[in-house]
Amino acid sequence: MPLPSLDQLPRGHRFAPTAYPLDEAWVEAYLQAVEDATTPALAPQAVPPVAVLALAVRALLEQARLPPGSLHLSQELTCHRLPHRGQTVTAQATIVSRGERQGWLLLGIELLVEGEGGEPLVSGRATLGLPAGGEGR
Amino acid sequence: MRGEEGAVLVQLQRPLDQARIDRYAQVSGDRNPLHVDPAFAAASQFGGTVAHGLLLLAYASEALARAWGLRWLESGRLRARFRAPARPGQLLTVRVLAAQGATAALVQVLDQGGQVLLSAEAQLPLAPSGHPQKGGDSPG
Repeated sequence: MPLPSLDQLPRGHRFAPTAYPLDEAWVEAYLQAVEDATTPALAPQAVPPVAVLALAVRALLEQARLPPGSLHLSQELTCHRLPHRGQTVTAQATIVSRGERQGWLLLGIELLVEGEGGEPLVSGRATLGLPAGGEGR
Repeated sequence: MRGEEGAVLVQLQRPLDQARIDRYAQVSGDRNPLHVDPAFAAASQFGGTVAHGLLLLAYASEALARAWGLRWLESGRLRARFRAPARPGQLLTVRVLAAQGATAALVQVLDQGGQVLLSAEAQLPLAPSGHPQKGGDSPG
């Protein structure tokens, strides 16, 4: 079944929680990709909070298509606990606002990543701009 | 780490090229053609590929970790705006600037021409005493 386009989804839509293991190989690949030598120098087992925030975006992108021309306009981030290697985290995303302005559909999306015990690790809110009148409408 | 308002607390540079954007796409799972398909991106409003916003945010977060140490990674907060696209071939400068109070900072990612691509307000929570806790050191 094809994925729905993000601009088709209503306010209140909750993406299915998705689990990701923070395994050594992925964490090393992430640190190399973002050229981050500081986090492992501060705490060798730590995983950067922005890395797990990226997993919340990944969960969203695995469940909806981003219309061409979409823009990431802003991002809020709150670090609650330091994620660590070997942990399995669960990423969630919910569309909390939806409105149009100047030819753009603006979506506010709450992101939350939790540890195995349900403790919040990272939360945040992304604002995306999608071309109004795009593929989903 | 403290400084007068506007003082540069940390500065680092990151060259940006398509290989780096592709690596980030691979590891993040965000393979939006705007980031990884030069032909598609050339026909877009950007005229070429652009970096993921969260790649710039990762650079900003590392700079904050240099300024504030583990406290940033464990309990920091940030509000960022992506103001202009970051493109392959740019040399990015990431700056953490002291803001009002010892637990607040401004972060900027600029291109080599000084255009602000990302700006963010970052904060640490106050310690129970109402005073900021000691931050980390700055390796560079």
